[in-house]
Amino acid sequence: MDLLNNLLLGLSVAVSLQNLMYALIGCLLGTLIGVLPGIGPVATIAMLLPITFHLPPTASLIMLAGIYYGASYGGSTTSILVNLPGESASVVTCLDGYQMARNGRAGAALSISAVGSFFAGTVGTIIIVMFAEPLTRMAQKFGPADYCSLMALGLVAAVVLASGSVIKAIAMVFLGLLFGLVGTDVNTGAQRFTFDVPELSDGIDFAPVAMGLFGIAEIVVNLERRLSRTAGTIKVGSLWPTREEVRRAIPAVLRGTALGAALGVLPGGGPTLGAFSSYTLEKKISKHPEQFGKGAVEGVAAPESANNAAAQTSFIPMLTLGIPSNAVMALMVGAMIIQGIQPGPEVMTKKPDLFWGMIVSMWIGNLMLVVINLPMIGMWVKLLTVPYRFLAPAILLFCCIGAYSLQNSTFHVFQVAVFGVLGYIFVRLGCEGAPFLLGLVLGPQMEEYFRRAMLLSRGDPMVFIQRPISLGLLITTAVLLIIMALPGIKKARQQAFQEEG
Amino acid sequence: MSRFLSKDFLSGLMFIAFGLVALYFGQKLALGTTVRMGPGYVPRMLSIILMSLGGLICVVALVAGSEPVERPKLRPITLVTIGVIAFALLFERAGLLPALVVLVLIASLGGEEFKITEVIGNMVALAILCTLVFKVGLGMNISIVRGVW
Repeated sequence: MDLLNNLLLGLSVAVSLQNLMYALIGCLLGTLIGVLPGIGPVATIAMLLPITFHLPPTASLIMLAGIYYGASYGGSTTSILVNLPGESASVVTCLDGYQMARNGRAGAALSISAVGSFFAGTVGTIIIVMFAEPLTRMAQKFGPADYCSLMALGLVAAVVLASGSVIKAIAMVFLGLLFGLVGTDVNTGAQRFTFDVPELSDGIDFAPVAMGLFGIAEIVVNLERRLSRTAGTIKVGSLWPTREEVRRAIPAVLRGTALGAALGVLPGGGPTLGAFSSYTLEKKISKHPEQFGKGAVEGVAAPESANNAAAQTSFIPMLTLGIPSNAVMALMVGAMIIQGIQPGPEVMTKKPDLFWGMIVSMWIGNLMLVVINLPMIGMWVKLLTVPYRFLAPAILLFCCIGAYSLQNSTFHVFQVAVFGVLGYIFVRLGCEGAPFLLGLVLGPQMEEYFRRAMLLSRGDPMVFIQRPISLGLLITTAVLLIIMALPGIKKARQQAFQEEG
Repeated sequence: MSRFLSKDFLSGLMFIAFGLVALYFGQKLALGTTVRMGPGYVPRMLSIILMSLGGLICVVALVAGSEPVERPKLRPITLVTIGVIAFALLFERAGLLPALVVLVLIASLGGEEFKITEVIGNMVALAILCTLVFKVGLGMNISIVRGVW
């Protein structure tokens, strides 16, 4: 059996001492930043990206992946114990998790969320394994026009995730695409928007952009707000849930996993979307909707499973098609490019050890997280008492050093400063950074495919409609846009994001 | 007047401005034909789309109204930016340690509370951590104090 062989290959890669160590480092770092508000996985991965240059490719991807799903674990701990979501994906967990903790069921809430997350992570990994090969085979049939339409779908779907105005998010995508064009034109060698700065001829590196938009801007906003911490610590109590709690949690975990996994695969989907939708679903189908917000077990189990399942399955489009579905995946693409690997369908055939090793290590990482999280909860909570005035300079410093070490040049540090200011303007104007970053990453590729498709069709734009795959993708894109414009959906979307804010 | 100082109207203006800048600096890039596109084709297309979206956002903001922008506090953003630039200027010329000290000092000034003992403690801890992680652990080619180590 091919699949089994592949998994065995992956296992042999993943359990090497070095890779286990990097998985552990990734999980610990991820949990850490998940616990700490004011820094998210995007900024962290951007900071660490340059460091991965010193590591072997598999180890670096394993570590970065660990940060990503570790963050969604860590975020839930603080949501439950102190009502502070460290991550946007665990915002909904606060609603019922904190209430459970106030009712003296903190331990049960934590263990349900940890076990639910682990189950969801396992299912997510299995789904990746099952879908990876067929999707890769499909992707090999894609022509330039199809890729172009696929990216359009990915970018439009990313807009669904942006809170606030859809049209502003679309404009942000285009702005990102425009920034992505800076540099040398691949086809003609012409310099575009480089202003005679030699460093810009390679294009705008997205790591400093991510650090600026998600790191610096976030710090500044937090400094303005005087991040207040009312960390009234709560006793954890027994970790064992009662039989009644288990009975209610199991179906919720199953539903959350299914919904999260499905939403994670969609371009633009991800942990946050999964968590919100599954909470809404549980509330709708529950016989006791009035219990929600007062410590319903389902309200913890479902979104926690969903966000982890989605965190796993959002790797699928990136690993098989090379299309990042959210900002974190965009950075993972960057990490692969740093290592000289062009993400896309070839990764699986050309680098099977990397591909399968990474997948298996994700499962191992999830296992590690359960082990790390439950006994070490006290320590993580203590970290919350570190005041922000210590953290802010530290985050800034790591951003600066990270940016410098990208190419050992201070040019990138200046770039961080510039995009920090730009990111601050975006925040003040209510424009989302994530669509911008996706546009920036996909811009050069999309232009390339667009131009190639038009060349092949002799300048006939109908090629995007004549090819069945491309047509299907474009129709999906159009449907998404129409759905988002419908008044009913618009309202529901606003409500969902209001709860978040 | 407040109508024009709304988040949406200003972001619309921002998009138009970026589009105009791209059009202006992209003037000299050859457009080419739809079959063989020159380097200027896609940039021009994107700038025009961006400007029309920006225009649309402005119009919607004026007709439907939108949230007013909050008055920005200039202190944190200015100090953080100065800190990063100072780091960039000092890092290669003087080494990690001086750059770190200046960055932490300036960034700490951007916060609400500033206690010099805490800031110094933070600097010492970060200096030790960075030296261990980046210089010793990862073996990066950076100097801690230029000319000394």
